[in-house]
Amino acid sequence: MGWETEICEPFRALPNQQTVDYPSFKLVLVGDGGTGKTTFVKRHLTGEFEKKYEPTIGVEVHPLDFFTNCGKIRFYCWDTAGQEKFGGLRDGYYIHGQCAIIMFDVTARLTYKNVPTWHRDLCRVCENIPIVLCGNKVDVKNRQVKAKQVTFHRKKNLQYYEISAKSNYNFEKPFLYLARKLAGDQNLHFVESPALAPPEVQIDLAAQQQHEAELAAAAAQPLPDDDDDLFD
Amino acid sequence: MASNDPDREEEAVAGEDEDTGAQIAPIVTLSEVAVTTGEEEEDALLDLKAKLYRFDKEGNQWKERGTGSVKLLKHRETGKVRLVMRQAKTLKICANHLGGAIVVIPSIKIQEHAGNDRSCVWHALDFADGELKEEMFCIRFVSVENCKKFMETVESITETLGKSEEKESEDASAAAGLLGKLSVAESKTEKASEEAPAASVKAEESSEVEKP
Repeated sequence: MGWETEICEPFRALPNQQTVDYPSFKLVLVGDGGTGKTTFVKRHLTGEFEKKYEPTIGVEVHPLDFFTNCGKIRFYCWDTAGQEKFGGLRDGYYIHGQCAIIMFDVTARLTYKNVPTWHRDLCRVCENIPIVLCGNKVDVKNRQVKAKQVTFHRKKNLQYYEISAKSNYNFEKPFLYLARKLAGDQNLHFVESPALAPPEVQIDLAAQQQHEAELAAAAAQPLPDDDDDLFD
Repeated sequence: MASNDPDREEEAVAGEDEDTGAQIAPIVTLSEVAVTTGEEEEDALLDLKAKLYRFDKEGNQWKERGTGSVKLLKHRETGKVRLVMRQAKTLKICANHLGGAIVVIPSIKIQEHAGNDRSCVWHALDFADGELKEEMFCIRFVSVENCKKFMETVESITETLGKSEEKESEDASAAAGLLGKLSVAESKTEKASEEAPAASVKAEESSEVEKP
């Protein structure tokens, strides 16, 4: 019974977090430190790819919206600390989780070895929720965990995706899978969000000259990945 | 680059879209809704694959905004042109701003990006998040040709716009001149002398505003 009431009321991720009038789900993101959980969330939030590693302390909650043929939906992503010393409440963050992603790094074998622990801790708190296992960093040439060696998902009935937050390979798949499971609709898919007409604004001459100066300075800066081609 | 890499081949084989997940009861029921792109009244002047960056002023660096297709869309009725770019796969909007509308002043002024002839930069008031934000954008195309095509299309839009603006301001100053003469002429007659100069000032103001 409690389960049902939770779904009807928009779940508040944090006390002061805005609630929305469309379906929202609490997604728990776990896995060893440095596997790319925060980078993956950031990639979806702003499009950027953060190379710098700053360990997450405790948890960071980010709302992620997607437009589907069944309307707009939101995942509240609970991006939890992977490093033990920054764990904070740990499985305290899993309470009321409605779906989850367990992430490991295909270039670091230990992170895959620890997947069962993350899975066990998660399942102790969240029973019967859809879970996706993600092997991140598949863009790296020298993998330590080959695709064939990934078998845990078969034993525990998880969905598995090889992803790359860097190249965007399969980066939408985990969310699409979870959305389909939560809605019980295999045909659910992402659609174009409405591009509203931008309002017209007048810019005065002084501001415009300033923009031009700023632009000239910006143009002198190189692009972050100028040397590689990642159109896929 | 990765042609002789065995890992790559395995990746492609690795259970694409094979569902190994447990059967779990859904927790919501969603029904299909009408989908609107917001682009229904527009024609694409251009549609190219590209990678978009925004400039982070604080960090003084370019940051990725999205990879997908960039479109220049022209409205069938108003003739307004805007730039809309969507992220591939999720189809979320990563840029949405006017590419030179009638009131907007010189629109996107494009400069080639230093050291890379496949990219260019511009400044815009962007509406991607549903609120206007000043952004500097850089876009990188797959080829030099595509970049050129993009820049030429944007420049031609700005030019057409410039011309129509010039014409309008000419018309306005002509009108102002006429009104001026009128006011001079009418100042001889006592009654209309108060109204006419005000009208001429108004006309001059509007002509100034419309000048690029």
